[in-house]
Amino acid sequence: MWAVIRSRTCSLSSTNSQSSIFQQWKRPFTIDGVSNGSILELQEIEKVLTDVKADDVKVIPVPKHCDWADFMVVATGRSTWHVKNIAQALIYQAKQKQKGAERMLLPTVEGQAGGKWIIVDSGKVIVHALDEKARAYYNLEGLWTPETLQKDPIDEDLQKALVKVRRINNSKKKPTQKNA
Amino acid sequence: MIQPQTHLNVADNSGARELMCIRIIGASNRRYAYIGDIVVAVIKEALPNTPLERSEVIRAVIVRTCKELKRSNGMIIHYNDNAAVVIDQEGNPKGTRIFGAIARELRQLNFTKIVSLAPEVL
Repeated sequence: MWAVIRSRTCSLSSTNSQSSIFQQWKRPFTIDGVSNGSILELQEIEKVLTDVKADDVKVIPVPKHCDWADFMVVATGRSTWHVKNIAQALIYQAKQKQKGAERMLLPTVEGQAGGKWIIVDSGKVIVHALDEKARAYYNLEGLWTPETLQKDPIDEDLQKALVKVRRINNSKKKPTQKNA
Repeated sequence: MIQPQTHLNVADNSGARELMCIRIIGASNRRYAYIGDIVVAVIKEALPNTPLERSEVIRAVIVRTCKELKRSNGMIIHYNDNAAVVIDQEGNPKGTRIFGAIARELRQLNFTKIVSLAPEVL
């Protein structure tokens, strides 16, 4: 029990100091054709997804306490081939954008072999292409929409409990009050 | 430092409760697995009425280790338990939610799926 409280207080008190450390952690990208640390911009991704006719595209801004990405884009494909083609189209777009550059920077693609859930990770924007079953199963929107991400009441109570309150010292009264 | 016979907690809602590592995937004579490594494990304890059963052989990714993880900027992370997430052959997690904090090294090791399901990334 005490270990839990101690670890929580550590995380509460050190959030401010840690944020600067995490800032250092992010590597800046300075290769031409790539700006602001993301290989594909959000508008481009949306355009590509409409071109390949991905169903039910949702853009979800990631809540602030998760600093590892800015936006999640969730798209549904009709079949495994369609899901794979969505990922291929995004990679093609990244290649086209950096045409002629000396070093091309491509997004990380994960799950290409399966075709049920493919992630195209282009830095600050992460695209999830899923088939219908996988989308219903994992329910990514439910996880990332801000309504469901409410704080635990226990957490808030702990926060209040551990704030140091200085006791009022009644033994020494101020001399000004005596005079009055 | 996970080696064969190490018992692992399960950090997802797949239904398994406890795993035992039986093999580390990688080189032929690898001794230990660390955060982000895939192991073959057997389910030692499982919740009733879930798709996974006791004594089933599965693959899992190590997400938390008692052995400390060092970063190049001097930060050291170690957890109180050894925990893993059950995955299938394609790398999709069996569970839909992940519990507890995980390290962001998993994203560089191509486990973005696990990172995107996790509530907290250290």
